[in-house]
Amino acid sequence: MEKNKTLDCVGLFCPMPIIKTKQEIETMKPGEVLEILADDPGFEKDLPAWCKMSGELFLEMKKEDGLYKGYVKKKP
Amino acid sequence: MKDKMTIILFSGEMDKAIAAFTLATTAASSDMDVSIFFTFWGLNILKKKKFIITKTQMLMQKMFNTMSTSSLPISKMNYFGLGPWMMKKLMKKSNMASLEDLMKLAKQLNVKYIACTTSCGVLGLTKENLTDDVNEFAGAATYLAEAKESKVNLFI
Repeated sequence: MEKNKTLDCVGLFCPMPIIKTKQEIETMKPGEVLEILADDPGFEKDLPAWCKMSGELFLEMKKEDGLYKGYVKKKP
Repeated sequence: MKDKMTIILFSGEMDKAIAAFTLATTAASSDMDVSIFFTFWGLNILKKKKFIITKTQMLMQKMFNTMSTSSLPISKMNYFGLGPWMMKKLMKKSNMASLEDLMKLAKQLNVKYIACTTSCGVLGLTKENLTDDVNEFAGAATYLAEAKESKVNLFI
C-alpha cells in the first residue's frame, strides 16, 4: 500500500489512536494516504467507524500478529 | 451543518468522567460539535485545584466544598482514595490517557463546557471557583435547546 505518512500509535488505547489520526490527517493534503500503526484491538473497528463519521476515505486494515495497520485517504 | 452531541455530566467520579471525556474527544475528532453540561457532582471536575472556600458561602456549603473537591473518587473500590491512586498508577503504566490529558484535548478540540447555575447556587460556587475553561453558565432550557438539535445526547 502506498502511503505518504506513517503514524505510530502502538501502545496507545482508545481514544488516543483516533484522536491522533484526526490531528495527523489535518496536516496532510487531499488525496494523501496515512498509515496508522496500532495494537489496541478496538482500533480495527474504530478506524472505519471514524472514517464514516469524518468523511475521510477508509482504504484498508491489515492485521499482522497483533499489530494493526490502517490506511486512510484524506478527503478532497 | 455539523452534527452535534451533548453530554450531561452529573457524576463527580473519575472513572465516569473519563468515559464522558473519551466520548467527547472522539466525537469532537469526528466532525461533531460537542457540549458538556456539568451539573451537581459533575461540577467537582471543574473546581480549581486549590479550591478556596469563600466567605460568602454558608457553613453547609463550605462543608460540601471541603469534602467534595476536584480530587475525584472512583465509583467502585474507592477505599478512601487508595482506589483512585492505584487506578492512576495502572493507567499510567498501561499508557492510557488520564482525565487531565483528555480534558486538555477536549479544550483543544473546542468542546464547550456549560456549568449549571442552579447547582452552582446550591453549592455557593462562583465563576472564580471553577476552571477558566467554562464557556457558559446556564440552565435546563439552554441544555434542552442544544439537545434538541443533537443526534447524540448522554447522561453520565
